[in-house]
Amino acid sequence: MDHLLPAEILEADRAFPVALAACADLDALLRLKGAYVGREGSHAARLMDLLKAAPKEQKRDLGAAINGLKQGWEEGLKARQTELEAAKKNLNALASSWDPALPPPVPARGALHPLNRLMDRLVEVFRPLGFHVEEGPEVETEAHNFDGLNIPEDHPAKASSDTFYLAAHPELLLRTHTSPVQVRTLLRVAPDLQKLGGIRFLAPGRVYRKDEIDPTHSPMFHQVEGMLVGHDIGMQHLKGTLEYALRALFGPHTEIRLRPSYFPFVEPGCEVDVSCPLCDAKGCRVCKGSGWVEILGAGLLHPNVLKYAGIDPEEWSGWAFGMGVERMAMMLSQTPDLRLFFENDQRFLGAMGGLD
Amino acid sequence: MWIERKALAAEIPAAAALDTRQLCELLASLGFPVDGVASREGTDVLDVDITANRGDAMSHRGMAREVAAKLRQPLAPLAPPPVAEGAPQVPVRLESPACPLYATALLSLGTGGTPADAQAFLRALDASAKGLPAVDASNELLHRYGHPTHAFDADRIQGAVSVRWAISGEKLVTLDGVTRTLLAQDLVIADEAGPIALAGVMGGDGTKVTEATRRVLLESAWFDPKTVRATARRHSLHTDASHRFGRGADPAMATVARDLLVDRLRTWAGATLEGAWTAGALPAHASSVTLSEAMLVRVAGEPLTLAEAAEALTRLGCVVKAGSDTLTVQPPTWRHDMAIPDDLAEEVLRLRGYEHIPSVLPPLEGPPQRLSPDYRLRQALARRLAHLGFHQTVTYGFISPEADAAFAAPDNAPEGRTLVNPLGQEYSVLRGTLLSSLKDAAEQNLRQGAREVRLFEVAPTYISGPKGPGERFTLGLAWGGTQGGEDYLSPARPVREADLRGIARDLGLAALPEVRALGEGLFGFEVPVADLPRPGERIVPAFRPFSRFPSVERDLSLLVDLGQPYEALAAAMRAALPAEVLQDLRCVDVFRHKSLPEGRQAWLMRLRFQADRTLVGSEVDGWMASALAAAEALGAKIRA
Ligand SMILES: [Zn+2]
Repeated sequence: MDHLLPAEILEADRAFPVALAACADLDALLRLKGAYVGREGSHAARLMDLLKAAPKEQKRDLGAAINGLKQGWEEGLKARQTELEAAKKNLNALASSWDPALPPPVPARGALHPLNRLMDRLVEVFRPLGFHVEEGPEVETEAHNFDGLNIPEDHPAKASSDTFYLAAHPELLLRTHTSPVQVRTLLRVAPDLQKLGGIRFLAPGRVYRKDEIDPTHSPMFHQVEGMLVGHDIGMQHLKGTLEYALRALFGPHTEIRLRPSYFPFVEPGCEVDVSCPLCDAKGCRVCKGSGWVEILGAGLLHPNVLKYAGIDPEEWSGWAFGMGVERMAMMLSQTPDLRLFFENDQRFLGAMGGLD
Repeated sequence: MWIERKALAAEIPAAAALDTRQLCELLASLGFPVDGVASREGTDVLDVDITANRGDAMSHRGMAREVAAKLRQPLAPLAPPPVAEGAPQVPVRLESPACPLYATALLSLGTGGTPADAQAFLRALDASAKGLPAVDASNELLHRYGHPTHAFDADRIQGAVSVRWAISGEKLVTLDGVTRTLLAQDLVIADEAGPIALAGVMGGDGTKVTEATRRVLLESAWFDPKTVRATARRHSLHTDASHRFGRGADPAMATVARDLLVDRLRTWAGATLEGAWTAGALPAHASSVTLSEAMLVRVAGEPLTLAEAAEALTRLGCVVKAGSDTLTVQPPTWRHDMAIPDDLAEEVLRLRGYEHIPSVLPPLEGPPQRLSPDYRLRQALARRLAHLGFHQTVTYGFISPEADAAFAAPDNAPEGRTLVNPLGQEYSVLRGTLLSSLKDAAEQNLRQGAREVRLFEVAPTYISGPKGPGERFTLGLAWGGTQGGEDYLSPARPVREADLRGIARDLGLAALPEVRALGEGLFGFEVPVADLPRPGERIVPAFRPFSRFPSVERDLSLLVDLGQPYEALAAAMRAALPAEVLQDLRCVDVFRHKSLPEGRQAWLMRLRFQADRTLVGSEVDGWMASALAAAEALGAKIRA
């Protein structure tokens, strides 16, 4: 059908790709567009004139040829235009990236887990008193988890309804508290205790109890254990240390209160309340109007715990405390459901954990 | 345990002057926090929390003893009309040391029923009144005085009664209608036909008191706490009686409770006493405990005197003999928790009030110890990843066998890490991998609409071993979704495997871990924390001299095959150069374009040299030639 088209038009079509590629900017492209498909004086306009003047029997074939040409040009122009626009935009972006008036780029924001953050804070609070961190395995022996802690042989916590045991190793269990770290540490330092002049440490970690998962229970949770062994240690030292640490944690006006309680591994034992950090002890929903919230259990080391580790309770004495990390985190944050701490939704973690 | 205010005041009249709030505070200060207060039968009923060591406090009388000691006020007298004992009407044989004392009485019932006030008392405690005087009186006495008693239908007992160990396999239908198969370690009350009660736990159905009962045989005994605890646990049968006997009842109360029960049946049901008798005798009293002044002062933290301690302990019912610098203390029969001097010191402090304990920082005797490098490494790692935009997760240490098998090392057999009593299949294996847990958490985040998820966890994984699972702190990391596109400088693109390798490299891992595709555009890797570079033990590392001479930087543009691993090429080039002068070698630009030869790309390598002298151009030319030759050996060519 090319024989129907004038030679100069065919020449122009051949030159089109090169001309198109030569268009370095949108202005040049606009000029090329005018020359090829413009309303007046363009190659396309001339072809339309040609079509009008053509004999009736040629019109069909000529029309198809003209349409083919026009379509090719228009598609080429459009593609090049998209390309040039993108390049221009990119250029604009690069140029504007130096504009101090625009917002700065946003770095990705991560977060520590709120439970880890709280445990870290507790360590930080006790560090100035020379407490270091001791850790122990989560898979423990009955001896370390129960016997070394003066827990009677028939204590209900030992039952398989309360404690997870291993199938292949019936003597092994998942520790039910961080207290076996006390036992391990005392056993380890007992020979050198005289030289060390005592020991004091925190033991943060994960513990397991056979509780069904619900808004206030989890089969895995965290505790922080604290312990000090020295000469002539009494209840006054427990109170003094906890007052110091809890003031460092909650603020200088924090008050603490000890109430008698019972745990097999301490004697005397106590529960420790702290003046409600949420209402400054004025009374609120969290403290049930009392101004006090229960925060941990503690006491002086039972002589049997020292004896088990080979330490003479006539010479050495000490105290220990244990606190539930989730319980404290829920209280401080007012998180309504314990399960949120184990769901690991980034929105929760970002809002609760943060960085510090 | 429920404590009804009026009934408490009946035992300690001074308590009537306290309002409910004051009473709650007083009990809490004594170690009995009140969990709640209910209003029933026109009075306040307190839900008192009683610790496992204080079985003696599990009654109104027991709680009243505490209040009386604290307030220094007298208890109401407890003096039932004494019952004259005579010859046994039914022989009672004690065949086990677990029951040293068994007081009993035989009565014929007349007419009458449980009085309204006794029924109201039981209802206030959320206990039901059965309308049968023998049953209700026993129950009422338990709550009021703490000593469990039992009434048998005397006409359904065959022959003599014995307290003996069960014969293994013997059967007993207990009051709750359950048929119990007994073990030789279960202590039972038996008649000549077989067991009629699980001692200290629950009576038998066959001899229970009913509307038709005409004669009752009463039991008020003392059973060994350990035996009762074991039987209650074995049969999952925790009753008011087993709680009290299991924590240690007061043996001196056995006869008193029997007399109280006889008295109630006479007045409530017009009963006639046919006889009362006791088998056995009071068990040996706990031995006395010595408290020294030094111990008292050490625990209390202030100069308390032995006289003060003696006074407090006497108020608690102890018999105290004062020596020159010690007290010899005989605890009362109802207390089983005063075994060592520390227990006595606690009692003195408790009665005095813990609020009086001074607050003193301990002498910090031993030198402070450092945080272990492992612990510091994990703390620093978590902070670093959080600053890189990752969220720290906490997931359960046990997962399903399937989730474990998906990523745990094949040689880490799950059998050695399996729990015998898991919460369910999905929590049954101590995990050998963090990736399954991270994958779950990441998928959950994506389902919740997160466009990008970046998670990490630092937790132990477990490795099966002959002596049980070993634990290894592990870093797991998961990353997926769409990266960037949140500001005008970084275009949006899917997270790629290479992003994770970048993180791994950034953490300083010598060998890059295998990056696993976790599905849904998620990738992850895990690596033992021990593989990460450890912080040095030194606060500031030892000084290493460095050159002050200027360094020389040269670029080398190479044409390399697409698919050429970068590390291999870089390593070959490094190997070809003297290590002491090569300061740095890196790829600073990658160019891929159709104008390059087919299948090739261009890498711009930048090399930096430095020595303890000024470098000469010609020697640098020589090194560059060596570097090029090493690259060429791997198929690279210099790009003209
Ligand atoms: Zn409050």
